[in-house]
Amino acid sequence: MSENTHERAEQLILQSQAENLTTADLKWLEAHLASCPACARRAAATDHAIRSIRSVSVRVNPALVEMTRLRVRRRALELGRRRLPGIWLWIASAVSWAWIAASVSCLWRFFGWMAHRVGIPSPFWQMGFALWWAVPALVLAAVLSMQSLQDESPIAGITNGS
Amino acid sequence: MLTVTYSFADSMEREAREVARGLRNRDPEVLDRLIEQFQYRLFRYLIYLAGSRETAEDLFQETWMRVLEKGHLYNGKSRFETWLFAIARNLFIDLVRQRKASVSLDELVDPEKAGTVDIPASETTLPTERLFREEENRLVATALGCLPAVYREVLVLRFQEDLALDEIAAIVAAPLSTVKSRLYRSLELLREALEETKS
Repeated sequence: MSENTHERAEQLILQSQAENLTTADLKWLEAHLASCPACARRAAATDHAIRSIRSVSVRVNPALVEMTRLRVRRRALELGRRRLPGIWLWIASAVSWAWIAASVSCLWRFFGWMAHRVGIPSPFWQMGFALWWAVPALVLAAVLSMQSLQDESPIAGITNGS
Repeated sequence: MLTVTYSFADSMEREAREVARGLRNRDPEVLDRLIEQFQYRLFRYLIYLAGSRETAEDLFQETWMRVLEKGHLYNGKSRFETWLFAIARNLFIDLVRQRKASVSLDELVDPEKAGTVDIPASETTLPTERLFREEENRLVATALGCLPAVYREVLVLRFQEDLALDEIAAIVAAPLSTVKSRLYRSLELLREALEETKS
């Protein structure tokens, strides 16, 4: 038998472990293995190697799994809390803009009329009007700051984990 | 038979979509279930890849943290484990790079760089069975230790995880032909190493 024949057999032995051989290749290999003890030994050794890998069992430390689970839960909680103010900020901004757009012309006239009746000079009532506009944003900023202060304290120890 | 195959594929798809939804919402219950379900397979893959139990334990935790943080990137179109192993692999490469500047996993093919694989033995009930298993594990671990990480990796993915070649290619981010040649080479090397170890 030529060297090429054994090389082909070796290639097919390895190939057969990863994918299906064609019927022709399979028949050729079986015939060759039946007549070549060296290649048959190599095929048996390959089978044994794969069986050895499959027989290996690994134990996972339950404490590791528990610790991982805890860390993941805490991090999920932290990420969830961080995301919440973002959503509220968008909602509050949208409401605030809608409020401004809807009320601006009426309020301007109302402030002007009130200032005229009470006798307040124009710069003062106009400054008051600007403040009226800023009130929702200021209240929102205060609420968010308080919320983030509350969030930081219990989570500080959690992120560093374990 | 065809109906059974279809319904199995359908349920797999549905499950993957549910996992993707849970990960997008960072649902702790879904994450808990995934850790429970994949703990053993992930740890085994990491042990084979890293060769050390300590490193595997660190990477195990980091992998799940990454799953939580990057969960929105899993689209549910592939099997979850394929995505999970790819994350674990990338973390391992990052770790190798941190330890040794500009080294990738693909460059770790020098057999001299290989060490031993620290396989923590599974608990078995009978002492004789345990002894046999420990001895068998030791032999395989020593043989595997002679192989570079890229070869150990394809062995575990193919013969322990029973993943298809295209799934392995997706995990290791390499062409199918590369995966095949690595697999054949790894089998040759393992066969030789086992024979040497036994003799």
